[in-house]
Amino acid sequence: MNHRLLPLASRLRRELFATPLDGLISVGLVVGLGAGLQALLHWALTQADWAVVQANSTLLVVGRYPLEQQWRLWLLTALLCGAAGITWGLLRGRGWPRSDRLAAAVLLVLGVVLPASLGLTAPIQQRWWWITGLLLLGRWAAGCWGAALPLRWRRLLPLAWPVLYLLGLGLIGGGLGLMTVRPSQWGGLLLTLIEASFAILVCFPLGIALALGRRSALPLLRWCSTLYIEFIRGAPLITLLFLGQNILGFLLPGGLAPDRVWRAAWILTCFAAAYVAEAVRAGLAALPRGQWEAARSLGLNMAQTLLHVVLPQALRVALPATVGQFITLLQDTTLLSLIGLLDLLGVARAVMANPEFLGRNAEVYLVLAVLFWCCCAALGLGSRALEHRLNRHSLRSEP
Amino acid sequence: MTEAMPSLDTAADPRAVMIEARGVEKWYPNGFHALRGVNLTVHQGEVVVIMGPSGSGKSTFLRTFNALEDFQKGSIVVDGIELSDDVRRIDAIRREVGMVFQQFNLFPHLSVLDNLTLAPTLVRHRNKAEVQKQALELLGRVGIHEQAHKFPGQLSGGQQQRVAIARSLCMEPRILLFDEPTSALDPEMVQEVLMVMQELAKEGMTMVVVTHEVRFARQVADRVVLMADGDVVEIAPPEQFFSAPQHPRSRQFLSQIS
Ligand SMILES: Nc1ncnc2c1ncn2[C@@H]1O[C@H](COP(=O)(O)OP(=O)(O)OP(=O)(O)O)[C@@H](O)[C@H]1O
Ligand SMILES: [Mg+2]
Repeated sequence: MNHRLLPLASRLRRELFATPLDGLISVGLVVGLGAGLQALLHWALTQADWAVVQANSTLLVVGRYPLEQQWRLWLLTALLCGAAGITWGLLRGRGWPRSDRLAAAVLLVLGVVLPASLGLTAPIQQRWWWITGLLLLGRWAAGCWGAALPLRWRRLLPLAWPVLYLLGLGLIGGGLGLMTVRPSQWGGLLLTLIEASFAILVCFPLGIALALGRRSALPLLRWCSTLYIEFIRGAPLITLLFLGQNILGFLLPGGLAPDRVWRAAWILTCFAAAYVAEAVRAGLAALPRGQWEAARSLGLNMAQTLLHVVLPQALRVALPATVGQFITLLQDTTLLSLIGLLDLLGVARAVMANPEFLGRNAEVYLVLAVLFWCCCAALGLGSRALEHRLNRHSLRSEP
Repeated sequence: MTEAMPSLDTAADPRAVMIEARGVEKWYPNGFHALRGVNLTVHQGEVVVIMGPSGSGKSTFLRTFNALEDFQKGSIVVDGIELSDDVRRIDAIRREVGMVFQQFNLFPHLSVLDNLTLAPTLVRHRNKAEVQKQALELLGRVGIHEQAHKFPGQLSGGQQQRVAIARSLCMEPRILLFDEPTSALDPEMVQEVLMVMQELAKEGMTMVVVTHEVRFARQVADRVVLMADGDVVEIAPPEQFFSAPQHPRSRQFLSQIS
C-alpha cells in the first residue's frame, strides 16, 4: 500500500504515533527540535551582531585578492554558473520535473533574496542577480535546444569542464597579459575551493593508479603502491602538511611546488589519493574474475580491459566511498590554517583576532559551518545524481 | 598414459590441425600438479567433448588454449601460432579463439548489443555501424533479436548464455572453447543453448566443449576425451566411448554419471 495516498491525519498517526513509545519519541523530538531552532533564531536575530560578517565578507570569500582584479573572479563565477546551467539543461532535456523546479526555486531564493538579506551593496546584489539569471537561462536554453545539437557537440561537454577549470586557474592567477596575482594573495573561500578542487581532481586518477598498482602482477610496483598507501594512511594529515612544507621543496622539481599554497595542494592530493586508492581497490575486488577473463579472451588488451570493462564497474562500486573521501578532503582543508595559510578558517581566525570584533566568534563560525555545509551538500548531491545515472541501466542486475 | 592413445590422437586426418597440445604440464602456484603431460590434437571443423570427474583438470586444460592459464612444460600450437609468454602472440591467439564460460561473464554495464560490438570495434578496429548490423544478425541466429537493447541483468540465464555465444561469434573466431556452458542453467534452459551449439557444429565451427551433457556428446561430438587426475586417459568416437569404454577410469566415470 502506498503511504503517500493516505490522508495526512492517518499518515501522521501511522508514521509518528503508531505505538505509545513511537508517540513519545516523536513528541520528544519535535519539542527538542522546536526549542533548539527557536533558541538559534532568537540568538541570530536579537543577540548576534552580524556586522563582523558584513564588514569582512570580501575577506572571507577571497582573502587579500587585489580589489581592482576582482572582476576576474566575478567573470569566473559567471562562466562557471553559465556552464553549470547548460550542463544541467543538457542532462535533463526539455522537461522540468518537480526536483528541477524545486532546485530552480532554491537557486532563485539564494541568488536574489540572500544577497539582499545579507545587506550586500547594491552593485554586488545586482551581480548576483545576473549570475543567477545566467544559470537559469543556461538551464532553460540548453533544455530547449540541447537535443537539437549534433551529438558530436554534446560529446564535448565532459571536455568543457576541465578546460573551464584550467581557464579558471589562469583567470585567478593571471599571466598571459593579465596581471599576476600570486598564490599568497589568494585566500578565504577562494583558496579553500582551489585547494580542494585541485586535490580532488588530481587525487582521483592518482588513486586509481595506486589501486591498480597495488593489485598489479609486478612485485616491485605492488610493494611500492602498498608501502605508499599504508604510510600515508598511517600518518596524520597535519604532520604531513608540516613535513611537506619543509621537504617538498627538495623532493619536487621547483616548478611543481613553487610556493606554500601549491605545496599544500600537493600534500592534500597525495594524502587523499591513498584513501581513494583503498576505495577503488574495494571496487576492483568486488569485480568477479570472470569479467577480466571474458574481456581478455575476446582479445582486448590490458588497457582496453581496464578502460572499457573493469574501471566502469569498479568505479561505480567505489563512487560512494570516494565521494565521502572528497567531502572529508574539503573539510580537511581547514588544517591549512594551522600551517599559516589564509584559507577560510585562516581568514576567519584573522578576523576574530581583530580587536574591533572581539567576542564575535559564534557568528563567524556559524557562517563557516554553513559555507562548508553548502559545499559538501553540493558534492553529495552531485554524486547522488551521478550514481543514479550510472545505476540506471542495471537496476535489475543487482541482487 | 595408455599405449593406444597416440595412435588414436594422431590418426591420419586430412583436415588442418587447429590445436596441438604436446606434453602439457601445469603446476598451480601452490604446487598442485594440475596437468600431467597432456596430449591432444584438434582438427579443423571438429567437435571435441572433454569429460571427466570434478577436479580432473578439464577447465585448466581448456583455459591453457587461450592463455588464461599458463603452463610450465610442453607446447601448445593454436591455429599455427605457438603459445609463449609473448603478449602480442597471446593477443593474436585470443583474437582467433572464442570462449564461453559457465557463468556467462557478460559485461553487466553494457547493453546486449554493446557486449557484442565492444571487441570487434576495439580489437579489429571495425566500423561500428557495420559491426552492429552483424551483431543483430547474430542475435537473430541465437534467437534473441528483440533483446538487443536490454541489459544482461534483464535476461534469463539461457538468454544470457546465448548472448555470450553470439558475443564470441561476433569476433569471427576460428575456434570456440566452451567450459561447462550449461552447468549454471536451470534445466529448462539447457536445451536452447545446446541447440545453438549444435547449429554451430553443423556449420563447421571447430569446438572444444567441456560438458557433462551425454546426449550432446553422443549427437554432436566427433571425439570424446576423458580426463582424470590431470591427464587424458581415453579418446574415442562417442559411440565407442559410451558403449565400450576402454579405460577403467572411463568405465568408472560413466557408471557414476548414468
Ligand atoms: N588457482 C588454483 N590454485 C590451486 N589449485 C587449483 C586452482 N584452480 C584449480 N585448482 C585445482 O586444480 C584441479 C583441476 O581444476 P579444474 O578446475 O581444471 O578441474 P575441472 O576438471 O574443471 O573440475 P570441475 O568439473 O569441477 O570444473 C582441481 O583439483 C583444483 O582444485
Ligand atoms: Mg571446470
